[in-house]
Amino acid sequence: MTATTAPGRLQERPEIPCTEECLLRPGNTNCGGCGMSVGLTMLGRALADAGDTCTLVIPACCGIVTAGAFPTTSYGVPTIATTFASSPAVASGVATIRDLNAEPGQVICWAGDGGTYDIGLATLSAAAERNENIIYICYDNEIYGNTGGQRSSATPAGARTTTTPWGKIQDKKDIMSIMAAHRIPYAASLSIAHPDDFAHKISTALLIKGMRFLLLHSPCPTGWKAEPADSIELVRLAVASSLFPLYEVFDGATYKINVEPDGSDPAEYFHRQGRFEAKQIDLGAARRACSERMQRLRALAEQYPSCT
Amino acid sequence: MIEIRIHGRGGQGGVTLAKLIATSRFLQGLSVQAFGLYAAERSGAPIQAFCRYADEPITNRNLIYEPDHVIVLDPTLVGPVIATGLKTGGWILVNSPEPPGEFANQFARYRLATVDATTIARDNNLGTRSVPIVNTALAGAVGRMLAIPLQEICAALEHLGFKGSNLAAASRAYEEVRLVESPREVGPPEALGAPADERRGPSLLEGAGAALPALKTGQWATEQPRRRQMIPPCNHICPAGNNVQGFLNALARDEPDEALEILLRTTPFPSICGRACPAPCMEACNRIELDGAVNVRQMERYAGDHGVVTPAPLARRDERIAIVGSGPAGLTAAYHLARFGYRAKVFESGAEIGGLLRSGIPEFRLPEDVVAREIDRILGLGIEVETDRRIDRQTLLGLARDHDAVLVATGLQEQRDLQLGMDGTEAVVQGIDFLDHVHRGDVRVDGESVVVIGGGNTAMDAARSALRLGARSVRVVYRRSRQEMPAIREEIHDAAEEGVSIDLLTQPVALHEEPSDGLLRRYRLTCRRMELGEPDESGRRAPMEIPDSDFELTCNRVILALGQSPDVSVFPEGTEVREGTQLLGLLETPLFAIGDLATHDGTIAAAIGSGRRAAVHIHRVLSGAHVRITEHADEYCDVDVWCDEVIRADALKLHLFERQAAAEGESLPIIERRSTFDEVHMGLEDATEAARCLSCGVCNECDLCCTYCPEGVLKRVGHRLEFDYAYCKGCGVCVTECPRSVIFMSHL
Amino acid sequence: MPVQVITGNHAAGYALSVAGEANRTARGVACGIYPITPQTEIVEYVAQFPFSKGRVVPVESEHSAMAVSMGASMNGARAFTASSANGLAYMAENVMVAGYYRLPIVMVAVNRTLGPPWNIWADQGDTLMLRDFAWLQFYCEDNQEVLDTTLLAFRLAEDRRILLPALTCMDAFIVSHTQTGTALPEQADVDRFLPDLDLPHRMHYDEARTLGGLAWPHEGLSMRLEIDEAMKRVADVYQECRESFTEIFGRDPGDVIQTFATDDAKLVLVASGTIATTAREVVRQRRKAGEKIGLVKLKMFRPFPEAALREACQAATRVAVLDRNYAAGAGGIFWQDTRAAFQGHRDDLLIQNYLTGLCGGDVTPTVIDEILADLTARANAGDPVWMGIQTSKETLQ
Repeated sequence: MTATTAPGRLQERPEIPCTEECLLRPGNTNCGGCGMSVGLTMLGRALADAGDTCTLVIPACCGIVTAGAFPTTSYGVPTIATTFASSPAVASGVATIRDLNAEPGQVICWAGDGGTYDIGLATLSAAAERNENIIYICYDNEIYGNTGGQRSSATPAGARTTTTPWGKIQDKKDIMSIMAAHRIPYAASLSIAHPDDFAHKISTALLIKGMRFLLLHSPCPTGWKAEPADSIELVRLAVASSLFPLYEVFDGATYKINVEPDGSDPAEYFHRQGRFEAKQIDLGAARRACSERMQRLRALAEQYPSCT
Repeated sequence: MIEIRIHGRGGQGGVTLAKLIATSRFLQGLSVQAFGLYAAERSGAPIQAFCRYADEPITNRNLIYEPDHVIVLDPTLVGPVIATGLKTGGWILVNSPEPPGEFANQFARYRLATVDATTIARDNNLGTRSVPIVNTALAGAVGRMLAIPLQEICAALEHLGFKGSNLAAASRAYEEVRLVESPREVGPPEALGAPADERRGPSLLEGAGAALPALKTGQWATEQPRRRQMIPPCNHICPAGNNVQGFLNALARDEPDEALEILLRTTPFPSICGRACPAPCMEACNRIELDGAVNVRQMERYAGDHGVVTPAPLARRDERIAIVGSGPAGLTAAYHLARFGYRAKVFESGAEIGGLLRSGIPEFRLPEDVVAREIDRILGLGIEVETDRRIDRQTLLGLARDHDAVLVATGLQEQRDLQLGMDGTEAVVQGIDFLDHVHRGDVRVDGESVVVIGGGNTAMDAARSALRLGARSVRVVYRRSRQEMPAIREEIHDAAEEGVSIDLLTQPVALHEEPSDGLLRRYRLTCRRMELGEPDESGRRAPMEIPDSDFELTCNRVILALGQSPDVSVFPEGTEVREGTQLLGLLETPLFAIGDLATHDGTIAAAIGSGRRAAVHIHRVLSGAHVRITEHADEYCDVDVWCDEVIRADALKLHLFERQAAAEGESLPIIERRSTFDEVHMGLEDATEAARCLSCGVCNECDLCCTYCPEGVLKRVGHRLEFDYAYCKGCGVCVTECPRSVIFMSHL
Repeated sequence: MPVQVITGNHAAGYALSVAGEANRTARGVACGIYPITPQTEIVEYVAQFPFSKGRVVPVESEHSAMAVSMGASMNGARAFTASSANGLAYMAENVMVAGYYRLPIVMVAVNRTLGPPWNIWADQGDTLMLRDFAWLQFYCEDNQEVLDTTLLAFRLAEDRRILLPALTCMDAFIVSHTQTGTALPEQADVDRFLPDLDLPHRMHYDEARTLGGLAWPHEGLSMRLEIDEAMKRVADVYQECRESFTEIFGRDPGDVIQTFATDDAKLVLVASGTIATTAREVVRQRRKAGEKIGLVKLKMFRPFPEAALREACQAATRVAVLDRNYAAGAGGIFWQDTRAAFQGHRDDLLIQNYLTGLCGGDVTPTVIDEILADLTARANAGDPVWMGIQTSKETLQ
């Protein structure tokens, strides 16, 4: 696997803003090692780099619990809590008034996989079809984490949840293809294990108008029954083994693969999480699915390359 | 009615513990309640659970404000709050390895119990390593504490479907729990100030909702990250004591001056070592496990050639130090002594200073101007030099009288011989002498077939010099295998590349003159095939003769390069010449032997190390100052723990690094090398190779830890890493993601 | 002021549009819209309105329609939407959120039967389902009232003392699709009536504030208490708005309850919507015959105008509450609140409930007469009585 950041080099990195100004404030209630926390911290840094700011629109999910109890908040930016299925619609309203008043800043939906893949899919689809001027980030932890770990349509096959006690049969919904099929200007998958790619995609998204959909693979140590310290390593393995490829789709038409998987065996990824029990995982099928997933993406990227 | 409050963290199983206690009572016919205080618990957040039981039906549906007993699942939660409302004389059970007495000061009015439920849970594989589930063990401890028979606790466990290891954990805790039955003090608890009762919450309409979180999530942590520093193998092995990691990282930051400055703290010869060092650091380099060693030698050369630093004495002192010999050891000692401020004087028997640096390494490997430049830099510190001055036993005494310390660094001057039957004739020439002639330019070997005997750098240098001086053919004859050749790997490679043939496992046994066929004399060298046996005292496998394997080589010249040994005649008879030992018998003046003379090591790097150690030693003796011998550490670093341990590759996250082959640099075309003594290796054009340094065990400020810290509470401030322990949840991501094992978790 | 023959829907669409346009000098207007019979004409109207600073977002569901309007409102814009029946049921979650967020959104609802059975005619069950969501609710009986009340609702909802969303309701088809002469106010007058919206708790880009996160019991119940206090202020603020409306538009938009001949009435009919129109006519006729009967039209249902209702029924001994809605297992919804209003005040009062006109059943004068007959004849109040079942068979088929 290739880390896009060569850790041997000293990188010029901006200072993380002070406590009061960062997107995710210390003192939030997220679990230790929460991937969403990493994502929010990285998002905050990328926005600060670009000199941009945002309003967060968050449906029911761990992300809104993160804010903490009124009148305190763990978010260092204006934040709106919405009903489970509504974040893209509320964001449409917020962004509409922002644009009518020619005001700066991004309107960013920050939603879990439940709000994205499942209950909010119609709302998201409609906002995408209307090409609303918002950024939608799904932090995909492949589970209903906020309610304690039930299946979602983002849960991968074989994973045990409290509602699939013998392992889920169906595989994960391909939300990226769904969103690409809306021909939105920008759809990209992100991993917190690839911070430079992450930052690049945020900055790309900031420069585009219209609907931008970002899918962030977000480890949930509690739900995945994994060590919190392994969070980054797990999603890195997911990229390396093609379980979660990193790519961009422009206008639903052209493709770019950002990180070439190194062919790592997905078995290692499964092995390190308690939610996958060895006897419930069809390794052969998983490996085939990984290789087919990449083949298909490579074919698309070759046939319809993006010029950016 | 008995009421129990449980303090725990999300994920530890506090509510289940309440249910277990309740169930054990329920099975005995009591009326019970067990419940949690539900909000938005997250794994690790403090939570409360409650249990009440009574003989009569329970009608109370409120929270428990004045519990009879308190159970604490996590020792890090122990604080005044756990005793809030607790009835005097009630039990406090803490999951802790400490004896209960530890908490007696804090909770003087209560009965106390402790049990190490965490260890019991881990031993029974309950939960994960970082979040062991301690509730079943604590249920056992509660049983003992409240005089509930173990079988009633186990019955409750079984009733709730717990099996095997949970029962074992409960039973063990039942046995191991330690109880203090009588409170240290009696009487009612001190009244806590009632919390301020705001009659109204803040108004949604008046802008409330922006306040900072009140939660200090650092309370969740059971472990905290700390920064440490370990010893990189390159630094550890460098005979000169160079901070290899340090100078490479300066180069990686594109700071050649800083790199040179770091090198000059230990060695005055970076440009020379950057060409002629065997570079043991490269053999120890952990990057070999990934994609090959960092080309440290070339990087040292780069720093030496491109960095601009003019060292100056750090102080002025009156003591005078004499240094006998101007090889690398002597000059290094003089350099460091001069930097400490001493008045150093170097005595050299030859016409020019530098010893073998000038004559022992041919120009194509170490150009004269490089040597001159580095020697000039040393002399620039104000070192006095006296050439053509041979010091013997008598004059050494004189030096001792006139100086505050004397260092002898005369190197290895006795050249080893091989009894071939024609020794002492002009048929056989010593390699060092041959190279000296080469240096002076008064030897040619046009058309000759030359045989060089030996496997060290002198052998290679002589062989390659012979090629350049017109030899028709050059053979190196060596009695062991290539593996055992002491010459620098690259040297052997270059020699072979240039056309030197190498006869391995070949021992010359006799030399005979043959009839000449013209201008050149002809010799017949009888050789014997060898094979390798058991390791000898040098650790290398000893060559053993193969019977009846003799064969013959014809040649016009034989060069012997079998190594040298020291000449200790300058010292009083019977002196044991050892490094670091003050030699006796010369008045009170400290006298040291340094360099090859004392170590027999034979490399420039070792000589540098020896010279520096001697200088530091003398400085300590004369000034009483404490100076560190090695400088592994970057002095800017703010490190929690200095770890006196060499870091091995398996402690690194090698998969986090991009594979990238080492930069080798350009060499002179082979065809050109035959006719010139121009430097073969042209060096590297830039210092990007330095960025391949993994910076093993030393923070190089890659800041991945800060990048990945989920909370953003790990920040770099200047060169320091600041962990905000008030908020750090102790998840350990920074530890996992540090590619170089700089951060580790420390148990609280 | 031009008077045109238009439908109730048209009147509602006009009111929403000019109210939105009036905020062009502030942060503008936006709304999410989604069609449902019989409300469709309203959203078509606003979608075609040339807003100077506004956007109508045609979304994929009622749920999102309210969500878009909420987003706009949170960002300080004027916002509204319209729906009906199952659309309201689908929207319900966000209706509630708008109330608890204190967003002054105005919604026009066309009261239609909640299906099943699939039935598009008048029934108040849909909006009454939303009665506990911290919205003001007004039930109108004609096109002009729909228009006027909708405009007034913006002023009232946006008043800093109130800051609660408002729902204007009209009966399906009987108002929504019935063309009558309606006075359409000039934009300039509307601009005068509706000041620029300056929502105190709107989001600001530079203020790190979270709207709608968690709250512990203390903070949570304090928010509910604030709503209760705002609800209690509505009666007074309504009167201010009403006076201003009358001054600007030269027309009284009507009180929160409207009484007819109640001063000395022994029998009082309590009704809402178009049933009130019919009932008023029956009362008028019977008054001519000397009967001491009167009518209370409940225009405002939330907050429930208890005091005004008690005052209107001072002379009464019997009250009939006519409900075009039914809370299964509990009777008519207006009746329940009416009973509660009198409890402890007039325990002698006979209050009888009549369930009539549900699922679009036509409440004719005959039905009202039957109700009055029953009311007069009974010795005591009893269970709710279903009225007009036979009539409904004879109509609309």
